Amino acid sequence: MPTDIIMPQLGESIAEGTIVKWLIPPGGRVEKDQSLLEVETDKVALEIPSPAAGYLTEVLVQEGQTVPVGTVIARLEEVKPSGVVNRVAGVILRHMEPTEGGADHYSPAVRELAKEKGVDLARITGTGAGGRVTKKNVLDFLAKGGTTPTHPSGAPIALQAAMGHEGEGEGGGEEILPLTQMRKTIAERMVKSRHISAHVVTFFEADFSEIAKFREGKGLTYLPFVIKAVTRAMKDVPVLNSSWGEQGIILKKDIHMGIAVALEDGLLVPVVQDAHRKGLTQLAKEVTDLAERARTKRLNPEAVQGGTFTITNHGGTGSLFSTPIINQPQIAILGVGAVQKRAVVINDAIAIRPMCYLSLSFDHRVIDGATADRFMGKVKSYLEQSDWEKFL
Amino acid sequence: MDISTEIKRADLLQMYYYLRLTRTLEDRITALYRQGRIVGGVYTSNGMEAIAVGYASALEREDIIAPFHRDMGAFLIRGITPGEVIAQYLGKRTGPTRGKDGNVHIGDLKRGVIGFVSHLADNLPVATGVALAFKIRGEARVVVTNTGDGGTSRGDFHEAMNFAAVRKLPVVFFCNNNQYAYSTPLKLQMAIRDVADRAKAYGMPSEIVDGNDVAAVYLAAQRAIRKARAGEGPTFIECKTMRMHGHSEHDSAKYVPRELLEEWKKKDPILKAERMLTQLGYADEAAFREVEERVKKEVEAGVEFAEQSPLPEGPEALEGVFATEEELKP
Amino acid sequence: MTTTTAPTKAQHEVTYLEAISEALDEEMARDERVFLMGEDIGPYGGAFRITEGFQKKYGEWRVLDTPLAESGFVGAAIGAAMMGMRPVVEMQFADFISCAFDQITEVAAKNHYRWGAAVPMVIRAPYGGGVHGGPFHSECPEGWFFHSPGLKLVAPSTPYDAKGLLKAAIRDPNPVIYFEHKFLYRRLKAVLPTEDYLVPIGKADVKRVGNGISVITYGAMVHLALEAADLLSKEGIDLEVVDLRTLIPLDKETIFNSVRKTSKAIVLHEDNKTGGIGAEISALLAEECFDCLDGPILRIAPPDTPVPFSTPMEEFFLPKVSDVAAAARKLAAY
Repeated sequence: MPTDIIMPQLGESIAEGTIVKWLIPPGGRVEKDQSLLEVETDKVALEIPSPAAGYLTEVLVQEGQTVPVGTVIARLEEVKPSGVVNRVAGVILRHMEPTEGGADHYSPAVRELAKEKGVDLARITGTGAGGRVTKKNVLDFLAKGGTTPTHPSGAPIALQAAMGHEGEGEGGGEEILPLTQMRKTIAERMVKSRHISAHVVTFFEADFSEIAKFREGKGLTYLPFVIKAVTRAMKDVPVLNSSWGEQGIILKKDIHMGIAVALEDGLLVPVVQDAHRKGLTQLAKEVTDLAERARTKRLNPEAVQGGTFTITNHGGTGSLFSTPIINQPQIAILGVGAVQKRAVVINDAIAIRPMCYLSLSFDHRVIDGATADRFMGKVKSYLEQSDWEKFL
Repeated sequence: MDISTEIKRADLLQMYYYLRLTRTLEDRITALYRQGRIVGGVYTSNGMEAIAVGYASALEREDIIAPFHRDMGAFLIRGITPGEVIAQYLGKRTGPTRGKDGNVHIGDLKRGVIGFVSHLADNLPVATGVALAFKIRGEARVVVTNTGDGGTSRGDFHEAMNFAAVRKLPVVFFCNNNQYAYSTPLKLQMAIRDVADRAKAYGMPSEIVDGNDVAAVYLAAQRAIRKARAGEGPTFIECKTMRMHGHSEHDSAKYVPRELLEEWKKKDPILKAERMLTQLGYADEAAFREVEERVKKEVEAGVEFAEQSPLPEGPEALEGVFATEEELKP
Repeated sequence: MTTTTAPTKAQHEVTYLEAISEALDEEMARDERVFLMGEDIGPYGGAFRITEGFQKKYGEWRVLDTPLAESGFVGAAIGAAMMGMRPVVEMQFADFISCAFDQITEVAAKNHYRWGAAVPMVIRAPYGGGVHGGPFHSECPEGWFFHSPGLKLVAPSTPYDAKGLLKAAIRDPNPVIYFEHKFLYRRLKAVLPTEDYLVPIGKADVKRVGNGISVITYGAMVHLALEAADLLSKEGIDLEVVDLRTLIPLDKETIFNSVRKTSKAIVLHEDNKTGGIGAEISALLAEECFDCLDGPILRIAPPDTPVPFSTPMEEFFLPKVSDVAAAARKLAAY
């Protein structure tokens, strides 16, 4: 009895997913819960565990392809496949590897078109399998008015050659990095968010002395403290935990805190569910676990669902201030800068304190500056208070 | 049976002429073959000429024949000329198939000859179809078809005989039982001795005749043809004869016992016809010699015609796969 | 006072099966040379009831119940056709055509080529699976005859094409094998023109215009392709569905025009994969359309087995919408 592998729903409003990589070769053996493939949706890349043990006998959707949730993407068989079953899942399609400075693969159609229109194919970024240049790439290039500039004598020449270059092959001066699915998604989402929300940023500074004192020897990072302060402040100013709706602003009861995690080739925002109900220890534990799993692509699909607010710890990489982009459909995002010892004035005297700039990017459609500042004032005061024991 | 009352003198003489023409033509073709001037195989009706001549002589102009490869006499009676036959053997453009097919695969609807295929007995169902057309249209026309002892082993023989009998079609089935199908003697071909026994199984009347006696064949054919034309259905006529040469001219037929050939040589159809004509006082030696000379000249003229004729060009091989509507316009 | 005219038969919606029946009826009425031969087509009206009432109307000699002898009655049809009749032979199931293989390929196909005698005969062959018929009632035998010069092969996918092609086949002076898909018999309905019309033999039909991928197909698979096209359009993959309608002679012009536009081709048929017509079309595209290809030519066809009987096996065997979708997605991403 074969097992169908279907494209899972990886988020509440998500209707499709892209196959990034099959982790098991066709015909290969996979155990139950072993990672079967990598899927991307929104900005999230996730490894999908196999629902059953078996042999991957049919791969129906290939890497790079986007299909709707629920689509059967592969089948597992209990019995090891013997011999070739020459039906469509066994369709031989030459696997395209990205070229590395050698001869490029151009299909007959692409070559014909390029010859006909006098196009230098080296100038075109390929989006086909393995990064090859497709007919569509050429047509799009032409549509944008792209042509090869001609030598004064009338013969077309390669611009790169005229410019002179270092590096391999004939393409010097520039190098094209093919766009990954994640990069494309991030690009799309970021620009979209900027178009949707009226971004305004307000900067606050908080004294982390009490936190620093308290956390000594406890192995806690600053982040759980920030989360706690934010959830407390949200109880005071509930409109920060909401979404814009045409009928009205949708206030959310529970706080699900998204924590931005930097990956080597992008970023993910796993969510701590019901953050307002959790103590520092548990928050710390969950954040660490989520970040680890995000980096090793072992996040469950549910882990990135349902966030109502996002914290981005840009200070971890040395940044002081930031103007982060809101994670739709939330209405604000808090950037936490580097905690630095600074000279500050307290009671008219100079003191050395661990200080931290907090950057709140908020959606001016939903709240005004005064509300944002009121919220941030609360965050600041909750961060600077000394009674952390009871929040462990 | 008194031949003189059954068959007109002129008709008998005509039949003798065709026996001679058939023999001389086929001997000449065999000679050309041995000289290496003919491409492909040569299949003759040597020693069996009386069958084709007999039945073809009993047909009317608008009747049809669906022969097999030992019916040269029938081709000639239908109006295929010796020149056309040799041209066909030589693969010339002037043969009836214009080089598309070889040896005796001759067909021409205008002269009422259905071109047969090498698969023996395939022509039998086709013949029943011809007869079916006549019956549907209420035409008083008949089709005569022929195959060998070997041909009757095939399924198409069974299906054709059955269909013809069930629907009472105006077809006459001849069988040239020359006792050998290539190297296979009759006893390895069938468990019965008389092929005509089979007709009973289909509810079809049958006759057995001496295949080397042209008058006997003619009369049997005439009886069956009349019956068919009158709407009384098909008949099966088995002609007992002997294949005097090999299956084809490349076959030395060493598997045939000498004695059998010696025995049947004495019953040669031309010899028999000459005896009969002499007995009836219709002809003499001089007349026979005269016919011999005449057919020799005709055959030589045919050889010359065929050898002068052009071969087709290679690309002509691409022509004629499909029929056009224009061709079928009356 | 108003009167309502009772709609004429041809103005009713007809099924694919009824369209075939109508074509036969009209041609028999129009041309007295047309007559039918087959098993159980007389009083019984045919295994699929296509000739119901015909014998009453046209008589015993134009609606002939033959003995169980496919070779015999196909041979007879050849003889009758040579004599100027227009026989239409019914194979009870296309699977039984193998009994007449010899007469079809050696006699009918080669006749005109060899000695100029036309054989204006039609053999109707109810083919195709999906009907729990097993290995001998579900065969797609067109591949065997595809390779026999001198025959024309047609395979309509809609009631409109079914009627028009059968008429054209009957009027054609060559032997035509008419593949009617039994799965489509009662599943398709259409309103057909009232006047006499023909669908020309040798002309394919683009059933769905698209820009992404050409799907070249025929018979019941046309509908599979259309279903897949609907599904894939939601993913931004735009299929063009080319319905061959005639297998011999192939309409190369329509096929090439389509693939020149899309640069990507899938060939889909229900006949077994190896050596099926898809192989020929793939070769043609590679030979004559190489410069227009932006990806490999994919074939979707059942595996090389006889048609199995048990439902899960037959479902596995037959191409599915998901197969077409998977192949299209593969090709779109290439």
